[in-house]
Amino acid sequence: MKAELQLSSDPKPAPLVAGETIVEFDNVWKSYTHRDILAGVSLKIRKGEVLCVLGPSGTGKSVTIRHINGLEKPDKGDVKVFGESIVHMTEEELGPVRRRVAMLFQGGALFDSMNVEENVGFPLKEHTDKSPREIAELVGEKLLMVGLPGTQRKMPSELSGGMRKRVALARSIALEPDIIMYDEPTTGLDPVTSEKIAQLIADLNARLRITSIAVTHDIVAARTIADRVAFLHQGRFQFVGTFDEAARGGHPVLQEYFRAMGFPCGTGLYAAPLGGGC
Amino acid sequence: MPPTTQQTATTIFYRNIRWLKFVDRLGKKGAGILEYLGGLGTMLVQTAHAAVTRPFYASQVVAQMDDLGVKSLSITGITAFSVGMVLALQTAYSLAAFGGKMFTGRVVAISLVRELGPVLTALMVGGRVGSGITAELGSMTVTEQVDALRSMAISPIRRLVLPRILAVVIMLPILTAIADVLGILGGLLIAVVELQLTSQDYLNSIWNSLAIEDITSGLAKTFFFGLEVAVIGCYNGLQVEGGATSVGNATTRTVVFASISILVSDFFLTKLFLAL
Repeated sequence: MKAELQLSSDPKPAPLVAGETIVEFDNVWKSYTHRDILAGVSLKIRKGEVLCVLGPSGTGKSVTIRHINGLEKPDKGDVKVFGESIVHMTEEELGPVRRRVAMLFQGGALFDSMNVEENVGFPLKEHTDKSPREIAELVGEKLLMVGLPGTQRKMPSELSGGMRKRVALARSIALEPDIIMYDEPTTGLDPVTSEKIAQLIADLNARLRITSIAVTHDIVAARTIADRVAFLHQGRFQFVGTFDEAARGGHPVLQEYFRAMGFPCGTGLYAAPLGGGC
Repeated sequence: MPPTTQQTATTIFYRNIRWLKFVDRLGKKGAGILEYLGGLGTMLVQTAHAAVTRPFYASQVVAQMDDLGVKSLSITGITAFSVGMVLALQTAYSLAAFGGKMFTGRVVAISLVRELGPVLTALMVGGRVGSGITAELGSMTVTEQVDALRSMAISPIRRLVLPRILAVVIMLPILTAIADVLGILGGLLIAVVELQLTSQDYLNSIWNSLAIEDITSGLAKTFFFGLEVAVIGCYNGLQVEGGATSVGNATTRTVVFASISILVSDFFLTKLFLAL
């Protein structure tokens, strides 16, 4: 009830048109212990696209996306989400934005003390006035979408890594967000499960018509899901473009990155079908 | 051979460097303590704000009262009962020299109700509950569950911190009252079995000496002790960064800080309540 009142009091922003900028980074700087992690990041993310943020470990990929829902605040620069600057918003003011921007954390971040049904139904219980029966139905529906029907009574400790991520994904889509951010969605999973998760992300994006932003090391997954890739290196996006463009002749470090992952890039060979490398 | 001017200057330079390093370390330590206290204060203000605004997670408060309070009953009860027995033995031993064994009940009751009951119960709860809160919230922080709450527009202060603080603040006085009673019963057992006093004598001695202020001042202290334990436990838990080692360190820090905080504040609270 309380949440519904809050929701109804929030002025609903005008819906964005497909292709319109939904998230904008403008010269964002962020440092930790006197080290610049982000040094002037600028990027526009379009509504409805799947953007993969690539880059070596420790370059600030996760830090970047955590700015989109206000989990991190920039030292300098601006971040606009749904056309509104969020950098000076308080935790309470960020509420309406966070309800429209879901995040899938690296380890799933499922609540240990709750079973799968309670985890997936948690945002619905908190932010809607749906009855327990309606919530249970929606939970079943979301679990079906991620390919885990009938797991409602299981505890997170009983799930494998891949299943945890799927449950976390079901929880992320429970409130039908406009944007989903994935932090390393395939890390730590075997190649088959990684491929399934990547396919699931692509399917959900198409079915739910949402904007997806994925931080990943996984070039194969990026190729499966990305409309565009953004390569973060030395605190800035050094390349932003399609996967094909990245593979054919992106930034030299990006090409190095592709080669290290087994993609012979920059050779003009990138026309091979899925599974065939660049 | 006397030192040259250059040698003297070098010695003075290095001596000063040592001093500067010492002052630097001292300054950093002082800044760290101030930052910590500032963090505790900020969290307390946020919690107070959450307490008077909606939503309020009443079911979480009840669950925490059970987990942090009811489940601490055995440890605080056993502690109080044992201390009551030992206190009766020691008191009777000391008073016997003056023929004052019949005052054992009075000394046991006043010591327990005014001082030992509240402090020992708070220390036991500080050890069990404070460390438990830090370990739980610390684990939630390192596994990004706290960030997950924030990302779902749910305040961790409202959902995690406030219920724990309220639960400890409500339950500690109750646990202390029960501990006081059990401590007095422990003393009664020794008085009857070991000291050849009648239960009537023991209880009359308590009844005639114990004032209502003794009980209220003892219980009032526990409100502050509970607040200290819960705030330190929650803050240390939410400040954890890294992995399992950091959780372990934070847990140890909570036990140490909570214990020191209880013992130091006990002195000032005792002074305050005596002055009232």
